[in-house]
Amino acid sequence: MTAFLALLHRDLKVASRNAIPLLMATLTQPILVVLVFGNILPRLHLVADEFRTVMVPGLMSITMLMAGVQGVLMPLTVDLSGSREVDERLLAPISVRGVALEKVVAGAIHAAVAGLTALPAMMLLMHQVTGLEVHPRWGALLPLVVLCGLLSAAFGLTIGSQVQPRFSGLLFAVILGPMMLFGCAYYPWSGLTVIGPLRYVFLLNPLVFMSESMRLAVTPDVAHMPMPLLLAGTIGFTVLFTLLGARSFEKRTIL
Amino acid sequence: MSAILAVDGLVKTYRGTRKSPPVEAVRGISFEVAPGEFFGLLGPNGAGKSTTLGCITTLVRPTSGQVVVDGIDVVRQGKEAKRRLAFVPQMRNLDRDLTVREVLAFHGAYFGLPKAERESRADRLLAEMQLTEKAGAKPLTLSGGLQQRLLIARALMHDPKVLLLDEPTIGLDPRARRMLWETLRRLHAAGLTLIMTTHYMEEADRLCQRVAIIDHGRILKLGTPAELKKALPGGQILDLWVRSPQPVAPRLEGLPGVLRVETVASPGDDDGFERLRLFVNPGDGLLDRVLHVVQGLSGDLQHVSLTQPSLEDVYIHLTGKELRE
Repeated sequence: MTAFLALLHRDLKVASRNAIPLLMATLTQPILVVLVFGNILPRLHLVADEFRTVMVPGLMSITMLMAGVQGVLMPLTVDLSGSREVDERLLAPISVRGVALEKVVAGAIHAAVAGLTALPAMMLLMHQVTGLEVHPRWGALLPLVVLCGLLSAAFGLTIGSQVQPRFSGLLFAVILGPMMLFGCAYYPWSGLTVIGPLRYVFLLNPLVFMSESMRLAVTPDVAHMPMPLLLAGTIGFTVLFTLLGARSFEKRTIL
Repeated sequence: MSAILAVDGLVKTYRGTRKSPPVEAVRGISFEVAPGEFFGLLGPNGAGKSTTLGCITTLVRPTSGQVVVDGIDVVRQGKEAKRRLAFVPQMRNLDRDLTVREVLAFHGAYFGLPKAERESRADRLLAEMQLTEKAGAKPLTLSGGLQQRLLIARALMHDPKVLLLDEPTIGLDPRARRMLWETLRRLHAAGLTLIMTTHYMEEADRLCQRVAIIDHGRILKLGTPAELKKALPGGQILDLWVRSPQPVAPRLEGLPGVLRVETVASPGDDDGFERLRLFVNPGDGLLDRVLHVVQGLSGDLQHVSLTQPSLEDVYIHLTGKELRE
């Protein structure tokens, strides 16, 4: 446990030194989307006013997914590079799975901070907008942000330890891009009844559960997924990706 | 001898993929290292040295066999074994996001050293390795020699019982290399057990008390450098540079007192002289007989020298090839 906490301390220290570029990397997208979809398009009457309320939790979940994945993927790329910095961690008195788990926790903290920063940033950009129905329920928001952070970081570990670093560009285009569009970030899952049973296919996308979690926590007036399904999906995916990620991390690092 | 490190029947076969066949990197290596010993693993690239170190340090999982450090099985009790080991890898894997001083302090923290102790130990090691001036620098801005010293300082932070070094002097300039040798000698004199891989024979000869020569995943010979040299046939080496219209080597091979002839360089490389190395039993008119053969073929002899064998000669004799860089 000592080694785990010391590794976490090291990661948080390094991340806090790079806080500004890290936040810029994760906050640019939600800010731009809010500017276009929250300000310009509603004024042109090209999107409905309600869209602004719907997209706020969705953008939080996208921000957390990106931050969680990048928070694990980028250090992991350095770790597994030619000089294998990861070996120092593997030689610390901690199991290989412990090293993997520490990466998930560090990525989750990164994701949670990004998500909690994105919310006020978006609210600030839309402070003049009337009819925005964002009412955060902090008691639900904080645990759900932590859970969604863990899910995104565990997902980042799973793909990061399986994909060669040179394909990480492809990863964003082929995996994360579709995940975001089909992740119920810009529309509530309950609204998908219009496409019939096909909506259950969406449940294969972990981002759906993150978006619905944020919807429950910050825009409780918008229809959201029932709590049991939501928790089962979020916790289930978190456990699944943590196990898969730790296993492939071990395969990748111990020859 | 109660060994601080015992490697027994170690085998490591890297699994193949669809495109590459499996690689048998280590095929049954056994040796023991006594507390306080300076032990060397010698061999060319691909001989299995780094894989052997990997198995000892838990970074490579053995296919079979056992490694025991200070009575602890490294596979079954990895965490406990790692407390007793320290490793200086061939690739300088310093944490590039920390400063030199933080590299040491955090390493101490990973091993659970209390804050005051890790700070004072970091200061002491920085001073010992003459890195105090660089304490605030980022590791990647240091020269290769300084990075190497920082790696050793980092390894010593958690007070290991055995220090393993993989090709520690590779890529260092002669001055940095000598400094590193001095550091290693000092650590050895202070009682630390050291295990080093190298393919520089001179280095092994100067530093190591016992040496295992490895190739193709097996130990070819194990002993003190002096023992290994004594094992050479004849015990002495006669180097000849000859230019001759007919090949000289086959004729020399038959001479009494000549045990083996190796062609070190073929004629025509630059000056037309062929460089031959003869493993000989000197005395008894051997030089006369050699000269006679060369003259009999109307050959031209440019250089003759009789030398004591080095570890490199032992290596070449054992493996029948020059060391690969």
